[in-house]
Amino acid sequence: MSPSTRHEFQSRPSAARRWESAVLWLFRTATYVILICGALVFGNIVFKGSKTVFSTTAPFINVAFFTEAPESLYVFEYQGQKKEMGDREFRAFKTTHPEAKDIKAESYVYSAGGIFPCIVGTVLLVMGSMMIALTLGVSAAVYLSEYAKQGRAVTLIRLAILNLAGVPSIVFGLFGLGLFVIYLDWNVSLLAGWFTLALMVLPVVITASEESLKAVPKGFREGSLALGATKWQTIRKNVLPYALPGILTSSILGIARVAGETAPIMFTAAYVVRDKLPWEGLSSVSDFFFQGVMALPYHIYVVSSKIPQNEYTERVQYGTAFVFLVIVALIATCSIVLRNKLRNRYKW
Amino acid sequence: METPRPTSHSDFLVNKKRIRVLGLSLDDAIKIFFGGNAVLSVIVLALITYFLFQEGFGFFGQNHRNLLTYRQAGLEYVDFIRTQESGHIALTRYLSDLRLRQYNEYVATQKMLPSAANDALAKFDEFAVQYGDAVESIRGMVSDLTEQATAIKTKFLIAEDKKIERQQLLAAGKIEAAAAVKIETVDFAAELHVLKGILPLYKETNADFAKKLDAALMAAPKFTTPELSARFDRFKELTRDYLATFPSTTSSLETWDYTRPVPWYQAISAFLFGREWLTASFWQDWYGIVPLLMGSIMVSLVALVIAVPLGVGAAIYINQIASAREQRIVKPSIEFISAFPSVVLGFFGIAVLGQSLRWLSQQAWLAWVPGFPFSERLNILTAGCLLALIAVPTIFTLAEDALQNVPKAFKEASFALGATRLQTIIKIVVPASLSGIISAVLLGLGRVIGETMVVLLCAGNRIAIPDFTAGLAVVTQPVHTMTGIIAQEMGEVVRGSIHYRALFVVGIVLFFLSLGINFIAQKIVRKYRISIG
Repeated sequence: MSPSTRHEFQSRPSAARRWESAVLWLFRTATYVILICGALVFGNIVFKGSKTVFSTTAPFINVAFFTEAPESLYVFEYQGQKKEMGDREFRAFKTTHPEAKDIKAESYVYSAGGIFPCIVGTVLLVMGSMMIALTLGVSAAVYLSEYAKQGRAVTLIRLAILNLAGVPSIVFGLFGLGLFVIYLDWNVSLLAGWFTLALMVLPVVITASEESLKAVPKGFREGSLALGATKWQTIRKNVLPYALPGILTSSILGIARVAGETAPIMFTAAYVVRDKLPWEGLSSVSDFFFQGVMALPYHIYVVSSKIPQNEYTERVQYGTAFVFLVIVALIATCSIVLRNKLRNRYKW
Repeated sequence: METPRPTSHSDFLVNKKRIRVLGLSLDDAIKIFFGGNAVLSVIVLALITYFLFQEGFGFFGQNHRNLLTYRQAGLEYVDFIRTQESGHIALTRYLSDLRLRQYNEYVATQKMLPSAANDALAKFDEFAVQYGDAVESIRGMVSDLTEQATAIKTKFLIAEDKKIERQQLLAAGKIEAAAAVKIETVDFAAELHVLKGILPLYKETNADFAKKLDAALMAAPKFTTPELSARFDRFKELTRDYLATFPSTTSSLETWDYTRPVPWYQAISAFLFGREWLTASFWQDWYGIVPLLMGSIMVSLVALVIAVPLGVGAAIYINQIASAREQRIVKPSIEFISAFPSVVLGFFGIAVLGQSLRWLSQQAWLAWVPGFPFSERLNILTAGCLLALIAVPTIFTLAEDALQNVPKAFKEASFALGATRLQTIIKIVVPASLSGIISAVLLGLGRVIGETMVVLLCAGNRIAIPDFTAGLAVVTQPVHTMTGIIAQEMGEVVRGSIHYRALFVVGIVLFFLSLGINFIAQKIVRKYRISIG
């Protein structure tokens, strides 16, 4: 740069400046390395999974994958052609083609059919556990921040709750096994899974709800009380409506966490395989609550660890992972977007 | 929770009549409802600790009995000699490693043909065979003794089972059936007398063994390079050290006494410091947490080494340097990464990352990296990389919060004094928020150490203490972790058995570990927070 074009106060290039920009670029690189890694994982699963989930012909979605139960896949050669069939189809094929009766087929478990029972199971687990967690959690938060006398005991409870939020999910799984499955003798069941998952997110829900309740200015309550409203009227009309967005956001985040966890349901609610759907073959209403279910995360664990990796099994592995990732990511995106929208809604 | 909407202003009149049920007004009832829920949550959360302990506590009693049986049935006695045998095996392994090096030296450096190299090694092989065969007599003795001791143990365990059976029958009121149960009491003294009778023979065999080893060392072969010679000298030294342990083995065999009680604390120390986690073995089950703990720690360390620079660097960039628009895009994106379910990441590790890393390690231009090339697809490194991706969003979000909380005046004052942006960041902003950043890292660690699915799928699941003599290459070894072992073995164990309880104790350790990490993180934040204003 010639001196004529340089402004008098313009900064001059120096070693210190080069050093500074190099370090700043280092920070920038760190940021983008994270993003690229995340995008790689996401992209890999979406790219390979979409081959299973979508199809090139109408209706462009692999309906069977979403509506059928998992079954074994048989790969065999018949009259010079390579054929792949699910369990039921293979049996039907054998009866219609008697000459193929003793045909040799390679079999891969869970690699054909779909994941419908897993989706149903996950939805049931998430809905039930969130209902329990929200009832208990929001009530506890309202009590702790509105009713309870702020003293030693409440501080202690708060500290305990805060610490429990960091306890590993597998420990909650062990606890669920000890209390619900064995001590209360519920066996591996929906109910045991609901309570285990609900207790796992309870600390998160309580802490977040309390925080949003705390964020409502004191004047709102005082004004209402001064006008003669009762405590409950105050809370219902002047506190909860303003805290609700925060509570909702945190609870959606809780849903994402509940849906994504595998460890707590491994011994409390999940079956590797179950041929009946949860509403089939029930002899009484209570049976519904005391049955185990298949669940998406556990199914992913099973198909990725118990069966070998090859071109036939890959379809169901990636397909399941894709569906699960998209479900969880959608829930999480909702909560992030919602929070960013609501953050600026109330300013006081 | 639904209350009638106030229809008119008269609702708010002070002397309005209130409905009371059981002496409670609606407001009281609501308060009790909320309070009840709060109490319920707290009680249930407290139950977690209780049930973990209730299931886990029985372990120590059972482990004590387990250790007692180990001694009384003479298994401990046999293991003295077995240790000696396995010491020899380790030495022969060293020897075969030496042979491989010499062979490679012949073929690669001296350009010998493989057959010629093998011929040149003939003398060495003779030596190795002589060295290896020396142990045969001891080995035979160990296998005989193993059978005897196992027989005693089985007899004892059957007797114990019968005792339980009788008690159950008595409890059920079937007195005759209970009387019919025959219990063979095991006379340990008589049984072990046979076992201990082997001592003179052992002494004789052992002296012979030592002599053979000495003789083998005398006829040691020569090596071509100084490096290999040095290694062989080291081998000689190791053998001499090994020979020096013989008298102590003999003396522990002589002084061994099956009636010596096992102190109660050994049940605990055998768990906390036990270097072996061995279950469902025909010989003796060991429940030592050290290999699992080491596995968890190694995996978490690798994850943190990757995640801390990235997470903290990104937090600094986003909070201090990036434009507002970049912030709006990048922040939610990183938070989005935290929504990846861990089981999906684990699957990604099995399907893609493990293979890619192994492929990368086998590239010639990367051979200088310690531990490269490696052959195990699933190892500490694979699991650590994926765990880093789990830890990064946690560290990033919390560190960014901490940076955000630094008062603006600090930064402005620094700029006003003429500091550059980098100086301000490194000397003012980061130190001011250091407590928050450290606690963010700790909470990230807590997240990583408690993670189950990724380590279960990707850490390789080999129960062994990583070999730290390998230096940095230790990260390419497979391990098993505390969370992984619970998830893997809990489905298969018998309820109430010692193995089942041991898994609960591992859970308790995890519980306290995470509580400790959480506690320290909070303490740091509170203690070193800068008072604002």
